[in-house]
Amino acid sequence: MALPPKSAPVWQKLASGGMKKLRTSNLGAQMLSQRLELSKLPITQKADEVYDFFVKWERGLTNEIAQLGSL
Amino acid sequence: MKSLNLAASDLGRINTLLSLDDAAALINAGAPLAVAGRKEALDQLPKGKWIGGTTPYFLTGEGGQIIDASQVFVTDFSGLGAVDVVVYDEHGLQGITDDAPENGFALAILPFQSAVHRRFAAEASSYPQAFLKPTVGWIAGFDLGEAGAKAYVYNGLTGEALDNRVAVLHVALEDGQMPAVEIVNIFEADGVDVIRFTEAGFSPAEVVVNGETVKFADYVRSRGREDGRLPLVGDYSGARINSSIRLIEGDTVHLYAPVFPGIDYSFAAPVDDYAAAFQSEFAAHSQDGALWSCNCILNFLFGELEGKTVGSVAGPVTFGEVAYQLVNQTLVQVRVL
Repeated sequence: MALPPKSAPVWQKLASGGMKKLRTSNLGAQMLSQRLELSKLPITQKADEVYDFFVKWERGLTNEIAQLGSL
Repeated sequence: MKSLNLAASDLGRINTLLSLDDAAALINAGAPLAVAGRKEALDQLPKGKWIGGTTPYFLTGEGGQIIDASQVFVTDFSGLGAVDVVVYDEHGLQGITDDAPENGFALAILPFQSAVHRRFAAEASSYPQAFLKPTVGWIAGFDLGEAGAKAYVYNGLTGEALDNRVAVLHVALEDGQMPAVEIVNIFEADGVDVIRFTEAGFSPAEVVVNGETVKFADYVRSRGREDGRLPLVGDYSGARINSSIRLIEGDTVHLYAPVFPGIDYSFAAPVDDYAAAFQSEFAAHSQDGALWSCNCILNFLFGELEGKTVGSVAGPVTFGEVAYQLVNQTLVQVRVL
């Protein structure tokens, strides 16, 4: 499954609590999720951070990317 | 000890204890290395592309060992991409990730109880590139049987032993390669209480236990956990991240890693057989591409790992571990996929 474009709403969903709903054992994803939950950054900035993370580690996030459509 | 055959190894993936002569030969051949051992041993190594840190404790393929100054533990990063040695002071720690290669990782060694140790522990997970350019590493320590001993890290380029800097290897990977930072934590929350902290730090004064604020020292004593055998386990969106009890002085609890507000913590449930628990955890973890690892001195001591093997991993036994941020009582591993 291809990554949704940066403009897709899924990135803001992930940045506003959706990361917590992902079933993942990826340590980076889990720790990023926690950082986002505690962060006071604007949601758009958090969404950019999530997008950049998924682009960077796409090859290792196959299972997580498969869940994006059901968030 | 058998001498290293440099020609046969072709500077390939070495991750083992070596004699000082063999380690020096690798350095003089230009190999980029991470080295660990006693200060008396590290002081004897020639200048070159290496970083180092002090500890006499190791896990090896033959079992846990406490070594003397005739050996050092060497991990060779040859055969990957470019490798650079960098040293930062406490004001430049964000450079560990900022300056790391786009495709690769940083291996950082910090001296125990130094300003860089404390500041990195507080800040690491907040660095902008923290999860795009991963950091692994360890806290250098010393022989617990030596009174007054101190931890040092080494800048191999100059041969300097440093007690207030972080020594970093920036390791680039080839196109098509990817680093995977993983932890093996044999501890799970005991399910008795959920506790939260209102401020970040190594020595929190108070804790909120199931909604009630109490002195942290009183809580630790009430749970009978002042011996430090069982860590606090923090729930980081499903990842179990430990902070271990170092000691209690009066009303002050000192931790090996800071706790943070907004995280649910619990004390860990007891583990009877550490070696067996690690073997069980390893059964669920691929070891393909395993490159480097470290494990915690508390696991080594409380788990009585001297002479016991822990999966197939080998590496320094440390006074704190780094997997994106400082963690405790955890095995940290980086694999290249």
